[in-house]
Amino acid sequence: MRARSNDMAAIPTGLAGGVLQEIAGRLADLARTGESAAIDLRSLPMTSTDLDELEHRLGRGEVAARLTLAGASELWETRYSGVWWVRHYGAGGRIAAERIEIAAVPEILVAHAADIAAAAARARCDLGGDASVTDMEPGIHG
Amino acid sequence: MGERETIGELLLARGISRRALLKYATYLASTMALPPMASSVMAEALAKARRQSVIWLSLQECTGCTESLTRSFSPTIEDMIFNLISLDYHETLQAVSGAAAEQARLAAMHDNKGKYVVVVDGSVSTRDGGVYAASAGKTNLQMLQETAQDALALICVGTCAAFGGVPHARPNPTGAVPVSDVIGGKPLINISGCPPIAEAMAGTIAYLITFNRLPDLDHLNRPKAYFGDSIHDRCYRRPFYDKGLFAKSFDDEGARKGWCLFELGCKGPVTHNACATLKWNGGVSFPIESGHGCLGCSEPNFWDQGGFYRPLSATTANPAAVIGGAAAAGVAVGVTSALLARRRKQQAAQQAAKEPQA
Ligand code: SF4
Ligand code: SF4
Repeated sequence: MRARSNDMAAIPTGLAGGVLQEIAGRLADLARTGESAAIDLRSLPMTSTDLDELEHRLGRGEVAARLTLAGASELWETRYSGVWWVRHYGAGGRIAAERIEIAAVPEILVAHAADIAAAAARARCDLGGDASVTDMEPGIHG
Repeated sequence: MGERETIGELLLARGISRRALLKYATYLASTMALPPMASSVMAEALAKARRQSVIWLSLQECTGCTESLTRSFSPTIEDMIFNLISLDYHETLQAVSGAAAEQARLAAMHDNKGKYVVVVDGSVSTRDGGVYAASAGKTNLQMLQETAQDALALICVGTCAAFGGVPHARPNPTGAVPVSDVIGGKPLINISGCPPIAEAMAGTIAYLITFNRLPDLDHLNRPKAYFGDSIHDRCYRRPFYDKGLFAKSFDDEGARKGWCLFELGCKGPVTHNACATLKWNGGVSFPIESGHGCLGCSEPNFWDQGGFYRPLSATTANPAAVIGGAAAAGVAVGVTSALLARRRKQQAAQQAAKEPQA
């Protein structure tokens, strides 16, 4: 449940149902064409009750991850495969950004090529002088 | 000086992953109401861009604006802005002082000629040649004109730089004017507020770096992404306003029930800012949520509007225009407040023209 600072934030507006309809449409597109999409929950005038309802109706699926980068983030797959809830925290633990991603894998989970290259160089450096490093390289690059 | 490193290179050197950049871009895109899928494009563009050289000039100000931008509980997503910019000169934050500080400003101007952004907080003193605000043997006015000459753009943060603010309030002893009154011919963005919301400052700078152009601005040169709605448009007390349920004092039953604060002087209907959505103190709340009306700090002449506790209907020449417009719809309020703001801007310009300049 979200923190509520006033009574008005508790009013259900019915927006959760509308967002669910949009998610269903985008998920059908993903299944048909492979096109991914995202819905920014902060840009919608949803009350905390609406967001709780949406979270409850989407439920939780098989995967959950916690990220530690520039503050914390958490994400989980909902009970619909390919529908992910992504929540980023900012200063003081407030929710800074929150969105639904409709994709095979949420973008932020995928390691970026630049980070992989840097990691490969670091691994080589960490294990410097070790002959087996050369053998490791194909594995590091995947 | 060689070409500045790209933001991507800097992040690698600092051990900050591209995931962190993507997270930051997601956050900024959300505050700017950009399409959600824009965040990955934004992150890639930022990684390839060179860090933006920023020269920050503090004129007649209270340092509240710098406080707003630098206030965070690190390391957090909000700190990421400092990876996007190179703060080459900032009197309050830099370690050097005196002649060395001046040298740093001149060196930054020389090395990044035509490419640096000047961020200004505080208003410009113009009376008696601007002698009421000076440092290093130069008036603020001279320093601003000199620094702005080769700038790419100016960003005026805070109501003082944008509209004159507190120093401009009657009787305005220093002849304080907004930056736009003394600098012409340069792209200029106003991020008003006393202080301005940190996300609006960071988001605007990030937008400039990412898209290499100014964001959409309103008639007062404020980014529409943050100043497009009035506080009243987004206020959670709005249903009470619409039903005519108003608190009459700060401790009556209406106040306890969270009713509208219009009759207690709330300036939300004529104030454009993002407080109601982005909020303050790490998203804890905003003034109306804490039981106090909006002061209108992001609008011109907010200090001279006849009192923070006087209802708008008592302080404007034509109360029907405000009340009628506000009751009709949020859009109508926007138009009304835009007209009021424009009229106030014209009055301010006329008043400034009447004041002795030297
Ligand atoms: S706008 Fe407000 S916070 Fe910023 S310098 Fe002026 S008085 Fe201070
Ligand atoms: S008048 Fe003020 S308190 Fe009332 S709804 Fe508008 S912004 Fe909110």
